[in-house]
This record gives sequence, C-alpha cells and structure tokens, in this order.
Amino acid sequence: MNPGRKREKRSKGGLAIAKSRFVLGVTIPLLLYESLGVFVLGWAFILMFFNYSSGRLGGPILGLGGSNPFVGLGNFIEMVKGTSVEAGLFRISLKNTLIFAFAILPLNLVITLPLAYLLESIGERFKAFYRTIYFLPVLTSSVGVALIWMSMYDPQAGWINAIIRFFGGTPVAWLSDPRAGFMGVSVAMWAVILAYLWQDYGYNMVIFIAALQAIPQELKDAAMIDGATPWQVFTKITLSLIRPTMLFVCVMTMLSSFQVFDIIQVMTNGDPGNQTQVLMLDIYKNAFRYQRLGWAAAESFVLFLIVMGVTLIQMRLLRTDWEY
Amino acid sequence: MATRTFPEATYIRKVKPRRGSVLTSRIFSYVLLTLGLLFTLLPFLMMIASSFKTNVEVLRVPPTFLPETPTLDNYRTIFNDPKLPLLRFYLNSAFVAVFNVTSTLFTSSLIGYMFAKFQFPGKRILFGWFLTLMMIPSHITMIPSYLILSKLGLINSLWGLVIFSAVDAFGIFMIRQFCETLPNELLDAARIDGASEWQIFIRIVLPQLSAPLATLGILGFMGNWNAYLWPMIVLQKIEVRTLPIILTWYNSTHTGQGALVMAATVLIMVPILLVFVNFQRWIVKGFTTTGFK
Repeated sequence: MNPGRKREKRSKGGLAIAKSRFVLGVTIPLLLYESLGVFVLGWAFILMFFNYSSGRLGGPILGLGGSNPFVGLGNFIEMVKGTSVEAGLFRISLKNTLIFAFAILPLNLVITLPLAYLLESIGERFKAFYRTIYFLPVLTSSVGVALIWMSMYDPQAGWINAIIRFFGGTPVAWLSDPRAGFMGVSVAMWAVILAYLWQDYGYNMVIFIAALQAIPQELKDAAMIDGATPWQVFTKITLSLIRPTMLFVCVMTMLSSFQVFDIIQVMTNGDPGNQTQVLMLDIYKNAFRYQRLGWAAAESFVLFLIVMGVTLIQMRLLRTDWEY
Repeated sequence: MATRTFPEATYIRKVKPRRGSVLTSRIFSYVLLTLGLLFTLLPFLMMIASSFKTNVEVLRVPPTFLPETPTLDNYRTIFNDPKLPLLRFYLNSAFVAVFNVTSTLFTSSLIGYMFAKFQFPGKRILFGWFLTLMMIPSHITMIPSYLILSKLGLINSLWGLVIFSAVDAFGIFMIRQFCETLPNELLDAARIDGASEWQIFIRIVLPQLSAPLATLGILGFMGNWNAYLWPMIVLQKIEVRTLPIILTWYNSTHTGQGALVMAATVLIMVPILLVFVNFQRWIVKGFTTTGFK
C-alpha cells in the first residue's frame, strides 16, 4: 500500500464532501426563496380566473372562492365582448398602449440611429461630451422628467406654447384638451410620447454607438475602394452588420414602451377623457384603487402575452444566422 | 486642362472635392448633434432657471428664460417646510437602495459562482428555471406580492420593498458568465492550501469580481433609486415614502406654484444625477454588455 496515495484519496473524498456541502448550503436557501417566487407566480395565474377583491373576505384558501367567486375565463370573455365600464376601459387602454408603442419605436430609431452614426464619426474629445449630455435624461428619475415636461407643456406659461406663439400659431392645452389631435392621435398622447422619447433616446444611442464601434473599419474601407458611396456603405455595410443590435434595441424599446407607467401616471394619469390611459395604468387603477384584483391579474396576463408575442415576431423578422 | 495629363494631378483633383464634402458633412454632423444636444439640455436648464424665479414670474407669458430677480425663496420654503423633512426621505431612499444592492450583489456573486464552477445534479434544470423567472415581467407578480405584503403587515414598511428583491436573476446570469473565465487552477491551488470553500469564495473569488459587481451595483442602485410604481404601491403613508413618490406628492399638493415644484425637483433629482454622471462610464458599460435597464 502506498500511504501517499491513500491520503490523496481520502482528501479527495473530503474535498468532494466540502464541495457538495457548499453547493447544498447555497442551493437550499435559494430553492426556498425561489419557491416563494413560484408561489407568487402561481397565485398571479390563479387570480385571473376569479372575481377577486382584497376588500372581501372570500374562501379559506388565499381568500379565493366564497365572496370572491371563480369565474373561469369570464374575465377574458368580458374583455373581448363585455359592455361593462371596465371592459370598455380595457379596450381603450389596449388601443392606447399599441398607439404609444408603435409610435415610440420608429420615432426612437429615426432619432437614435442617425445621431449615433454622426456621433461615431466626430472627434474623440467631443464625442464623450455629447454622449454625456445625451445620456443625462436616461439617468434622471422618470418622475422628474414628467414634472419638467409638465411645466414645458403648461398652456399659459409653458415653453412649448411660447414657441408656438412666437411663430404665430395658436397655443394648445397639451395635456388637457380632449378634442385636439394630430394624425388621428390626441395631442395629450403626442405630448407624453415626446416626453418619453426625450428620456429614452440616450439609452438606445449608447447601444448603437457600441455596435457601430465594433464594426471593423476594413469592411467599410474595402467597400469605399470598390467605389461605394458613403450612403451605400451605411445602408449595405453598417445597417446589415448592426442587425443583431437592431433586434435588441427594437425588442427592448417595445418591451419598455408596452409597460410604460411612470411618465403617464404623473403627467396625465390617463386624462383627458382616457386618451392616455395605457394598460399598466389601467392595471394599477383596477388593482389598487378599485380593488378589482382578479380583473387586474387577467389584464396583466394579456399584457404579458402581447409583450411575448411582439418579442417573438421581432426575433423572427430580424433574425440573423451569421457572425462577423 | 493641363492637369489631366499628369497622374498625380488627377489624383489631387479627385481628392479635393472629397475633402470639401468631408468638411461640409463634418459641419452638418456638428450642427445636427448640437441641435439634439440643445433639445436634451434645455428642459434641464429651464427647470434650474425656474427654481430661482418667484411664483409670479414663473407664470408670466411669454416666459422669461433667466430669472429677472433670482431668489432663493423657493429653496428656503422647502427647507423650512416641516411637512417635507427632505433628509428623512433621502434616508428612506438610501436605505432601500443600499439594502437591495448589497443583498443582490451578495446573492448574485455566490449563486453565479456556484453555477459556474460546481457540478451537481439538477444544475441545468435549476438554471433554466432561473432564466424563465427572469423573463417574467414584474407587473405579473405585482398583485400577489402586494397581497403577501399586506398579509405580513409590511405595507407602509420599507422592509416590504426589500424582501422580494434579495435575488436578482440577471445579476446571477452576469456573474456566472464572468466566473466561467476564472481559472480552475486558482481555486484548486487554494484548496490544496487547505482553504475551505467559503474562504475560497470570500478571499479569492469575490476580489476577482470587482468589475462586474461595480457595474451591477451602480445599475441596481440607479434602478432602486428611481423606482416609482412598486414603492408607490407599498408605501402609502407619507413619512415612509421614497423620493420619487414624495416628489409627485409635493407636486400634487402645491399646484399653481410652479417655481416651488421645480425647486423641489432640483433638490430631489440633481444631487444623485451628479453622482450618476460620474459613474456614467460604468453605467454605459453595464447597459451595453447586459442590456439591463
């Protein structure tokens, strides 16, 4: 017998025990904590099949049943063809959320991509300065952003109307006039869209800048030598090489604009006449103001499905199967 | 033209117009970028200027840009307002942000390290479970979380903002990626020297993780500091509120006093904004490498 070998064997066993102790020491609390997460998720899933209000006592298990009756798919059927006030409001909120998200995405891309491209082309010293300023709103709390823009939109003393008056136009009550609209969308909606864009474009800009920096200069040079114009280089080389980033930016922008809440809640709270009522706001009001938690849970699930669907569609459309 | 006969001259002739166009496109770039810069900056400047105006001047049509008679009255009013103990609200926000960041950094590094460097049965399933939880948006879990907090009596308590935030799947994911690059020899050398697994984690792994932890920490701090919806649901009493909810409350109780509200916005937003600007490099790095917002 070789004593050295024996010792090694024993120490290896000890090591394995020490390792598995460590793993157990970490995973057991983790599993317990994550079961809480799964419990919460399961509860959210069950709630949407009930007419649940936290104001009522309900049945013995989690307050479900009894005065909080099971309604099956009732909440979802009501959403599609119900005549109740909340069903109507849900459909308005859904429409507004879609308008908001589908306005934000193209406007954001039209601003951020060219600006990022221009920013990438200028000198290093200015680049950092410009980028810092463009990034400021991203760092700002959205409540602050909302308050700043509310004072900009003030019908009397606000700067937006001051500019309009300067050019001889008629001032608009941006956040409160229910009749004013532009391109079929109310001005209040445009007003919150602009404020949201202002806060958000710096984020996509830095993402685009990082992607543009990663494109090898040789590819662009080669195209130039072959006689491509700068525009062709941009559309044929740059745009196609940043396609994965485009996908990422589109998905992230859509995800966050479908779930917009802060800015709209502070600026309009859904007014005037529910023209800026978006789904998150409707969910919040139903759950925490009107105590219709089952209904709100069902709405959350619909929002989740929409967000998932839009993400999957975008991933299909912008999929690439190459790398460089 | 005589120049046509010389190849060098042809070369010069070709380059010259290009140089001109480079210059015009440069100027064009700077003009556009500066316009965007002004659009980004002017609302901030307007906020700061308004905070030094009187509540009468702020209502004037057309608006003045710079205050005519700059005054500190708004700031004085806020500091002397017994209903607005700013320091307390700052401490509330700081408590939530620091507690959440510390706990998530600890759990992320520990769990991420475990997923990267240890083999155990069920590891893939556990990790897959994590990725799934990561994709569930918070509005889905918001309602049952609220019900749990109210059952536990944690509504109106800052602890209510803390208990559901101890584990952050994204942090775990990021640390796991990073830990996979750590050489196994380093860990084994420590094991041979007789270090226990916890010692290895604390003495050897944690110091290596400073860069990703800094990124995660700053992003997490910013997210917590600016959070609005969930704190608003949990903190309904005024004295326990965090800064963003206090700001909206102050706005709704001081309608028609635009200058005062702008001063409050400056006081609540600007100090931390300056901190974030200083950490900007890390934040940008975090955004571009993780896409976490």
